Amino acid sequence: MADILSEIVQPEDLKKFEKIYHEQLYKNDVTPKAQFEYAWCLVRSKYPADIQKGIMLLEELYKTHEEGQRDYLYYLAIGSARLKEYSKALNYVRSFLSIEPGNQQVVSLEQTIKKKMEKEGLVGMAMTGGIVLAVGAIVGVGMAIASKAKS
Amino acid sequence: MSAGPYNYSYIFKYIIIGDMGVGKSCLLHQFTEKKFMADCPHTIGVEFGTRIIEVSGQKIKLQIWDTAGQERFRAVTRSYYRGAAGALMVYDITRRSTYNHLSSWLTDTRNLTNPSTVIFLIGNKCDLEGQRDVTYEEASKFAEENGLMFVEASAKTGDNVEEAFLETAKKIYQSIQDGRLDLNAAESGVQHKPSQPGRNPLSNDQQANKDNCAC
Repeated sequence: MADILSEIVQPEDLKKFEKIYHEQLYKNDVTPKAQFEYAWCLVRSKYPADIQKGIMLLEELYKTHEEGQRDYLYYLAIGSARLKEYSKALNYVRSFLSIEPGNQQVVSLEQTIKKKMEKEGLVGMAMTGGIVLAVGAIVGVGMAIASKAKS
Repeated sequence: MSAGPYNYSYIFKYIIIGDMGVGKSCLLHQFTEKKFMADCPHTIGVEFGTRIIEVSGQKIKLQIWDTAGQERFRAVTRSYYRGAAGALMVYDITRRSTYNHLSSWLTDTRNLTNPSTVIFLIGNKCDLEGQRDVTYEEASKFAEENGLMFVEASAKTGDNVEEAFLETAKKIYQSIQDGRLDLNAAESGVQHKPSQPGRNPLSNDQQANKDNCAC
């Protein structure tokens, strides 16, 4: 299913913006635009290491380039959520909303993150339930053996 | 929202494009939420929305990518054009510059989508008749010359918003029926979800879980 947290960047797009960034890096003259475009692609990668790198680049931009801060915060939230670092993601969302309360795009991102957490929470509970059942079965078998040995 | 994830037979991918401030996000919001956002900040990057509609008795899920109009996002938002089955190209009838830029938006769309992509031109803010800067006739002629579908709409009043999204879907559906749109092509922007008997994920799974818990 495609949504803002699961769509994947096309490898050729990632490569394209990576190349621009690296060319500028080589000349020691990286523009915020090139860094942001590369980071924006990285946080949409299917590889966690790419997302991590994207987050690093966005954090750096956030500290050094005031003009684009709302963009950086938004994609920091997306990157963190994709790494399943949900509390971090929600913190970014909250700091965004403290500056622009009620921003529909960010409110909707918050809902998407919470829905994803809920979904994964349910999966976690189901697994715990399975383990309880398995442990119960082992204990049961053990008790049966013990009672057999007694008789 | 409560409907199961397979409660539709097709997915169509849409993009919404056009200059900043023409009301792209407001059109999307009006279509998905049936509400007008009075104070709409600039979109960051891309926004996403969905709605399930019905065309000729078929349920279709629209996955809509609403792109930011600001120039600084343009390089990356271009990558969202790929594989769009429908493109809604929006201008503001009260600002001629947004109309003048249409040919550049159209060129981008033609270059980055496929020949079967349905392009629908929307002149937004038609509730502001007093401030009109582009006549209906002029835009209509432009649409005709370029083979685009066209309406004037208002995200504020909701006029023609539904129509624009639905007419686009009808045209895409028609292309599938006529065989002009190849569903197997990677970038057709359409996914077919054949109905899966016995798989109604939500209700069945919940039922199964309950059964398991009974012990």
